Amino acid sequence: MRNRVLATGAATLAMAMGLTACGGDSDSGDGKTIKLVAADYGDKASNASKKYWADVKKDFEAENKGYKVDVQVINWNEIDKSVKNMIQAGNQPDLLQTGGYADKVADDLLYKADEVLSPKTRENLIPSFAKAGEVDGTQYGIPWVSSSRVMFYNKAVLEKAGVKTPPKTWDEVAAAAKKIKSSKAAETPYALPLGPEETQGETMMWELGNGGGYTDASGKYTLDSAQNVETFDWLQKNLVKPGLTYTNPASTDRKTAFADFAAGKVGMLNGHPSLIQMAKDGKVDYGVAPIPGKTGPLDSTLGVADWMMAFKDGGAEKEGVKKFLDFTYSEKMLQFDEMYNLMPVTQDALKEMQTNGKHKDLEPFFEVLPNAKFYPLGDTSWDVISAEMKKTGGKAVSDDPKAVLGDLQKKAESAAAENK
Amino acid sequence: MSLKAPPPPADTGRGRSGRAPRPVSRRSGIARLGPLPWIAPVILLILAVVIWPVVELIRTSFLNISIAGIVRGSAGTDKYKKLFEETDFGAVLLWTVIWTVVVVTVTMLLSLALAQLFNQKFPGRTLTRWALIAPWAASVLMTAIGFKWMLNQTAGVLNTLMLDLGLIDNSKDWLGKPETAWPWMMAVAIFVSLPFTTYTLLAGLQTIPHEVYEASRIDGASSWQTYRHITLPMLRPAFLIGVVINLINVFNSFPIIWAMTQGGPGYDTSTTMVFMYKLKETDIGESAAMSVVNFAMVVVLVLIFLKVSRWNEED
Repeated sequence: MRNRVLATGAATLAMAMGLTACGGDSDSGDGKTIKLVAADYGDKASNASKKYWADVKKDFEAENKGYKVDVQVINWNEIDKSVKNMIQAGNQPDLLQTGGYADKVADDLLYKADEVLSPKTRENLIPSFAKAGEVDGTQYGIPWVSSSRVMFYNKAVLEKAGVKTPPKTWDEVAAAAKKIKSSKAAETPYALPLGPEETQGETMMWELGNGGGYTDASGKYTLDSAQNVETFDWLQKNLVKPGLTYTNPASTDRKTAFADFAAGKVGMLNGHPSLIQMAKDGKVDYGVAPIPGKTGPLDSTLGVADWMMAFKDGGAEKEGVKKFLDFTYSEKMLQFDEMYNLMPVTQDALKEMQTNGKHKDLEPFFEVLPNAKFYPLGDTSWDVISAEMKKTGGKAVSDDPKAVLGDLQKKAESAAAENK
Repeated sequence: MSLKAPPPPADTGRGRSGRAPRPVSRRSGIARLGPLPWIAPVILLILAVVIWPVVELIRTSFLNISIAGIVRGSAGTDKYKKLFEETDFGAVLLWTVIWTVVVVTVTMLLSLALAQLFNQKFPGRTLTRWALIAPWAASVLMTAIGFKWMLNQTAGVLNTLMLDLGLIDNSKDWLGKPETAWPWMMAVAIFVSLPFTTYTLLAGLQTIPHEVYEASRIDGASSWQTYRHITLPMLRPAFLIGVVINLINVFNSFPIIWAMTQGGPGYDTSTTMVFMYKLKETDIGESAAMSVVNFAMVVVLVLIFLKVSRWNEED
């Protein structure tokens, strides 16, 4: 009888302990297992990144007996949170493929790129991207894929509105948008997505057009510089207030803008290569042009790269990680780029894609890539600032731009000070 | 086990006095614990799922945690300072109060009427009573997403309906700006709070004895007098329960706002709960500080309410 009482108590206690302990993960522990966490680039089951990585895993394990690859693919909305939880729980992956890397450098979690890449793989990286992977002159971030931005326009809409050539300057954008609106050629003349999804991208494309941007030459943040404030003043006065774009750009995400363009409801917008397929699927006859600036088209557009990084405390031995990266970067790079119509970061894949004739529609993007400007990716506080911009940056087209950008600048300065 | 008798009181009395010699047998040792073995599982469970998270939460709010998730040491009260200095903090607090007060007040008023209605005898009462459960039975998140799409500017049925009825002359982006998003979200919050509240009040109404009504009728009370002087006072316990539970629920409400606007643009449609969630993206410590403030506010809110309504006093 007494024993049963004790047993019940013990069982409940064990249950309660179990509840508190369920955060811990069983680690496979041995140095031959490489744990990879990657983002999902697919938009449907048939092109999920899980498929790509399963293929890489199979081929790598066949070629390198004894090694095991443990892949976990997480969607873009969750990956940062999941990785943060893994790090907090002391359960770091060996390799991570996601959107940013510098915040991890600040905490000294990553291997330097030359520790986990053979010289051959390193030399194969396109220099401008390798450079964007540097923090204070040392490369940590290994570029994975890239894209550049151009302006897309709907040919039928522009024709119906009587716009002969795609706009090259801001004033021409406003004039074309006005014509589209008055001729009712499209519901949204210019799509300006400043919602949480990609505020930092659209913002930078417009600010570059006015000689602005996020940092000055020395790398100090200048989010509320006169040029940037002027940019948002212009947008507010010439596109938002006259109703030439969405009513509430600050709550409109890029995916809405892309979907609207593919449905023929948008005249013009800034986009990246994945819009090509969407437009084709929607049977929209589109054209592309350099992004308009205040006085003329941008000579350097926004370039975006996603990153691969190797954690020091992942548990796998460094040699295995190196083997895996060398294998993937030399054998499997092109497959990924072609699978998603994204742009390569290695020289051999770039050459292949430019010459094999299968990627004619990417040509305008290749053209602007060499001069592309990046976010301040190598700054260890960029990830915080980018997250802050996503939350409130879009309000600069509805509220007072100086106040909104000023607030962001204050946050950027304190984030930078904290990371010093 | 069921045969075991409760420990003799003398036994525990001796145990408490502390003068007793060491128990001679193990049996009396166990017995001395009294009901502890029976309630221990519950206590452990509460410790594990209630107390421990609160302690951990408070501890986190004094830590400096990098965006990558590494603890960089103590932050002292910095995170609280940072939180109170947020430009939008004041507005978020104000909106939280407005949100809670409006949703709870309207819910209670509507529920009073609904409960009264459902307490009458009319054909189809059972069916309508069942129908009232629907908004409650459906997941709140699902309801909120449903409303989000119904309000969609280009594809939403509500926009089409209002256009066809001539209520508006061009379709509106209802959830895109705070002035229109707040009322809609409040409407959804009220919609999902009604069933529970109505049923609580309905249960309350059914406990009022018929004799009291009969007596008042004989005394010639008008129906309004009956309602004010009999129904409302006797409904008090049920009404108070409804208010307290709704206060806590609405104050802590997250899925409706998150599904419909994500608290945006900026923080314009955020309550402190949503604000806390959004802070987590940039600073976990600050987010934890917000949680602690939230926790304190809800405790204070309920205490004040119970004090004011003299919770334990029976009329």
